[in-house]
Amino acid sequence: MIRYLVQRVVLGAVVLLGLLVMAFAMVQILPGDPARAAAGRNATQEQIEAARQSLGLDQPLIAQFFSFMGRVFQGDLGTSVFTHRPVLEDIAQVLPSSLELVLAAMIINIAVAVPLGVLAAYRRGRAADVAARMLALLGAAVPVFWLALMLQMLFAVVLGWLPLYGQLGFGIYLTDITGVTTIDAMLSGDPYAFGSAVFHLILPAVTLSASFIAVIARTVRSSMITALDADFVTLARATGASEWRVVVRHALRNALIPMTTILGMQIGWMLGATVLVESTFNRKGIGSYMVNAVLQNDLYAVIGSIVVIGIVFVITNLVVDVVQLTLNPRLRDGTVRPKTSASGQLVARGLESSGKGAGA
Amino acid sequence: MTTVAIRLAETKKRRRSPLVERIALVVIGLLVLIAVFGPMLAPYDPLKVDLTQALLPPSAEHWFGTDVNGRDVLSRTLAGARITLSATGIVLIITLVLGVTLGTIAALGNRVVDEVIMRITDIGLALPSIILALGFAVALGPGLQSAVIAVSLTWWPGYARLVRSVVREVRHAEYVEAGIALGVGRWRLIRKHILPNSLDIMYVQVTLDVAAVMLVISGLSFIGVGAQVPSPEWGAMIAAAAGNVTNGWWSLLFPGLAIAITAISFNLAGDWIRVKQDPTLREAG
Repeated sequence: MIRYLVQRVVLGAVVLLGLLVMAFAMVQILPGDPARAAAGRNATQEQIEAARQSLGLDQPLIAQFFSFMGRVFQGDLGTSVFTHRPVLEDIAQVLPSSLELVLAAMIINIAVAVPLGVLAAYRRGRAADVAARMLALLGAAVPVFWLALMLQMLFAVVLGWLPLYGQLGFGIYLTDITGVTTIDAMLSGDPYAFGSAVFHLILPAVTLSASFIAVIARTVRSSMITALDADFVTLARATGASEWRVVVRHALRNALIPMTTILGMQIGWMLGATVLVESTFNRKGIGSYMVNAVLQNDLYAVIGSIVVIGIVFVITNLVVDVVQLTLNPRLRDGTVRPKTSASGQLVARGLESSGKGAGA
Repeated sequence: MTTVAIRLAETKKRRRSPLVERIALVVIGLLVLIAVFGPMLAPYDPLKVDLTQALLPPSAEHWFGTDVNGRDVLSRTLAGARITLSATGIVLIITLVLGVTLGTIAALGNRVVDEVIMRITDIGLALPSIILALGFAVALGPGLQSAVIAVSLTWWPGYARLVRSVVREVRHAEYVEAGIALGVGRWRLIRKHILPNSLDIMYVQVTLDVAAVMLVISGLSFIGVGAQVPSPEWGAMIAAAAGNVTNGWWSLLFPGLAIAITAISFNLAGDWIRVKQDPTLREAG
């Protein structure tokens, strides 16, 4: 088991190292002279040369690579050309807000997907099952950025139930304590601000969760089908337990284990999907930060975002592995080969590439 | 007689009626026709700006209304089919070539080569492809071409893995062993015996991936690094209309519907081909 964990950590490190190599390569293929860019538009030839030297760009490529890696390990992801601040500081400031959004989306995801999956399994072929399948079909086909706009149109413009965008209503100001709007509102003891923050969170969270719900619902459905046919459920029925108790206490509890794995991996995927959601809702976060960086051609900020999202990915995958080990004792003694993250990632990639209602 | 009875039972068991798949195939056929003849079918010039006609709601003259620059949304959506579908097609072709080549090399090459290729695929699979593609797209500069290259560069790892596992399986099949025993050359063995038998699964994957690739490409265009402004690429159209949530829903609705309908059709078709190819899936409920 320890060996397995060490293996996963090493794999995570290799992935991160690869990402950094790729990041370095991206800097290299960027057209234009970074020294000129750093020195500014009106710099003289001497100033450009000075910038080249101070950036170490006159060094051989391999030396540049090692100094790049050295800086990254010290937490220096470069300086944003646009904000003139260290990229890591910028990201640290906006990341909590993205995590808030991801958490909210996750809550919606579980709240919708679990009952839907259970119902779909319990009454196969009936309304809930059909609904789950439709959702899967739509979730894999509707562009998330378009869904965002459609929901804005319906719930903010036509019905007026929810705010169009932003994180707080007009005239509400909060001191930035944690960077998470809802928590800051709670800390400031202002219930009105808290309500406003939650209201502003609903549409983006629903949008973000939309394409993920179907995957969880499908997982729950298929593991529920297995669980409902299992001997322990028949036994529970035979003891005269109520149907509710049989389904929820006995079948569902066992069916939830595969779900936790996929939920864990979805955290990283959702964080990635924020690039398509946050800007539309005018929320701060790593997604909108990255989009701005992309549009400003702020390469270091883009690479910094990729690296940070990559780190979150590697960490969540490791946590998923550990959780899997604790939930499934058979993995511990090595009698059962664990589903590696590699295959797990393929499952998660299914969100993107084939997350439709295909397999049962 | 019994076979017929079993067939009938199977057909009844099938979850979706074949009608749905047939509709999906018809839609795909129509989309291909639109992609080929779209600009000819378009009632107006998809690029012609006419500010006096800006943001007209759908009418008999402009079925899908006009956008903020007075361009006919129907014409643009029709013209966009070619751009979006061909960009998606090119990505899938590049992906297929890269994935099959590297996957085969990994499966048949020595351990070091295999290890290196597989670790690269780890990176590719470790992040959502839109995130990596954004990085590549920035490095390559904005434009549909960079978006296509960027998505291809992030999409092949899944294929390489799939090909690798299939080739490794096929390699030990009897007919391949027989070929080796007969002294068939390595290259000929790969080309004539191993690859053709590994590729069936690829067709299914490609069909299933059309939707996903299209969503990433249109997503990149929406963000602003893919197809650029006047282009009627569907994602770029949505981006251009994003400011008209309050006053021009039609300019927003139709390109998105086009993406969704295309994606659903290809996903249904992909599932159908998969179930057809793999009889074991037919019984899965």
